[in-house]
Amino acid sequence: MQFIENEEQEKKGFRWKMQQFLDKESVAGYVFSAPFIIGFLGFTLIPMAFSMYYSLTDYDMINAPTFVGMDNYTRLFTDARFLKSIRVTLVYVGISVPVKLIFALFIAYLLTRKVKGDTLYRSLFYVPSLIGGSIAVALVWKELFARLGLINALLNTIGLESINWFGAQDKAMIPLILSSAWQFGSAMIIFAAGLKEIPNTYYEAALIDGANKAQMFFKITLPLLSPIILFNLIMQTISAFMAFTQAFVITGGGPNDATNFYALYVYNHAFNFYNMGYASAMSWIMLLIIAFITFMILKFSKYWIFEEK
Amino acid sequence: MSLVACGNSDSSPDTASSGDTGTETGGEASGDQITLRMAWWGSQARHDGTVAVIELYESQNPNVDIQYEFFDFDGYFTKLNTLVASDSVWDVFQLGGNYPAYINNIHMLNEFIEDGTIDTSNTTQQFLDTTNADGDQVGISLGVNSYGIAYDPQMFADAGVEEPADNWTWGDFEAAAKQINAELGIFGSSIMDDFLAGASIGVGPDYNFFDADDQTKLGFDDPSLLVDYIRMRKELVDLGAFPDPGAAAEVTDIEGDFIVSGEAAMTWIATNQFPTLVDAAGRELKLASVPRRDHDDPFGLTLNSSQMFSIPTNSEHKEEAAKFINFFLNDEEANEILKGERGVPIMSTAREAIEASATDAMVEVLNYIDYVGSNANPELNNIENPNTAEITSQYELLLDQVIYDEITPEEAAQQIYEFAKNIIE
Repeated sequence: MQFIENEEQEKKGFRWKMQQFLDKESVAGYVFSAPFIIGFLGFTLIPMAFSMYYSLTDYDMINAPTFVGMDNYTRLFTDARFLKSIRVTLVYVGISVPVKLIFALFIAYLLTRKVKGDTLYRSLFYVPSLIGGSIAVALVWKELFARLGLINALLNTIGLESINWFGAQDKAMIPLILSSAWQFGSAMIIFAAGLKEIPNTYYEAALIDGANKAQMFFKITLPLLSPIILFNLIMQTISAFMAFTQAFVITGGGPNDATNFYALYVYNHAFNFYNMGYASAMSWIMLLIIAFITFMILKFSKYWIFEEK
Repeated sequence: MSLVACGNSDSSPDTASSGDTGTETGGEASGDQITLRMAWWGSQARHDGTVAVIELYESQNPNVDIQYEFFDFDGYFTKLNTLVASDSVWDVFQLGGNYPAYINNIHMLNEFIEDGTIDTSNTTQQFLDTTNADGDQVGISLGVNSYGIAYDPQMFADAGVEEPADNWTWGDFEAAAKQINAELGIFGSSIMDDFLAGASIGVGPDYNFFDADDQTKLGFDDPSLLVDYIRMRKELVDLGAFPDPGAAAEVTDIEGDFIVSGEAAMTWIATNQFPTLVDAAGRELKLASVPRRDHDDPFGLTLNSSQMFSIPTNSEHKEEAAKFINFFLNDEEANEILKGERGVPIMSTAREAIEASATDAMVEVLNYIDYVGSNANPELNNIENPNTAEITSQYELLLDQVIYDEITPEEAAQQIYEFAKNIIE
């Protein structure tokens, strides 16, 4: 009997202590943020610290790393393939991001009109963003633009010559840009939400003043949407810098490195050429480039962002 | 297991020890349960065959559970590299000519050969040496292969081109490709393994690309040896007799080769792929040797291990892993299932098991391997350098630049020579 009582008391004691512990506000906070903290430490902070270290070594993934100082970083500036990969990545970002944003805005604008089943359309237009990054879809694009693929067949039926998309240095990037623009869903959803925020009264007032559709779009919609455009611009620019799957599957970086995107070149050095140290250094330079460009976008945004006074 | 015992009982004194091993395995069946992890890369046919052999082994050795994974080539090495970094490589893993990069993680098999766990009585030292580095048995070859040119004899006849002679040259190859292109309007040749054809084998037979003894040196010092192949490749692409870089990018595996679709009359091939190629093409194809520089040059090929099974240093079940490798190599039933898809087996008993049911294509491969084997040039270095992947990639890039008229073949040859020299130092 004594024994049982003791145990019960102990149980009570434990439960009580537990209760006390959980009732502290900070504990609940830590518990609920634990998944993020663990993920951030395990998948972001620790790997980043390691890559910083590896970037100063000749690590090849197999043998123990030896310290080489800044060698990897100085080698980067003499590596012609690296410099070209920066160039083609900048071209890709410079073209694919505006194309994608214009397309996303256009579709979002169309979908703000009250049509039957607009949510269905919105969901359908979002599908490419869900599946577009996959290997399977990349393979479909590869087939579409192949020498005897559907795109060339269509060109032939309207009397145009076939285009050797992946055999011409200046054309190989076009399918990749189109594929990226086709995945406009997430930008579209954000634009659509932004468009809904614009009060209808502005348009009604403009209508009374005799403004036409184009004037309304450029004088009302665009300025009021500009903070949203800035957000989308930054997010899409960052993700475009990290473009990998399409180039990896569709072109393999060719021909003549015309589509050898930064992330693809990093991957090749890390996993194919056994130069993990060099690849890590490249990743850090990429971080700096992206940070710099994001900074510039933010800095110059004040010239075109409309703020309501 | 009984088959192994039977196969061995009338061959050599080693039989006894091999038979003993079999009994031991049986004895252990009631004992500890062991889990072996293994992995390989390859095609669907290889996956199916290997899984069937694993199941056969598990049914005969109930105490062993084999957890397997299979990949395509690139995926396999990406995974392997991460496992190497974390010191948790599969207990049995497949490696090809790029094993020098992993040499510090490989447990040498010498002890298992000496104590008979792996029975090598049905093969020769020459075959074992294909996977031997400085006296250490890095793995045991799962099959030997070599390289060659697969061609369609009917297309050659239609274009009025003579079929390749044993000692045909790159000049003959070029002329054939041009004539086939002119007569039939197709590619004379589909894609090649350009680095092997133009550089690795291309600088031979008097030189090796990589020095055979010193990994930090090239085996030749005259970049002009590389020029002819690069010039020929550019000329053929310009004529439309060879796939341009865009068309070449469309070929992702041997089943998708232009010779399969009838758009080309020749293609480069590793001989173990030949039966798969013929299957996919569905018509008669033949194997010719890799062209030489000159008709009277010595034979420029050697037998390679297409791939091997190795055991990593981190394995906790090295002996069990060795027993499985022994089964994979020697068991006749297993080899009937595998059908020599990894190359011609090095064990004579396993080879006989395959010969019994060989298709025409397989017979062609067996004959070709015998031909290469009896002429093989022992001076040739068939061990890859750890930097081969990066040098190959640079070679292909420079070849593209020649094709797009950005540099001349001479400049490309000079540049790849210097690139390779600097990087392996």
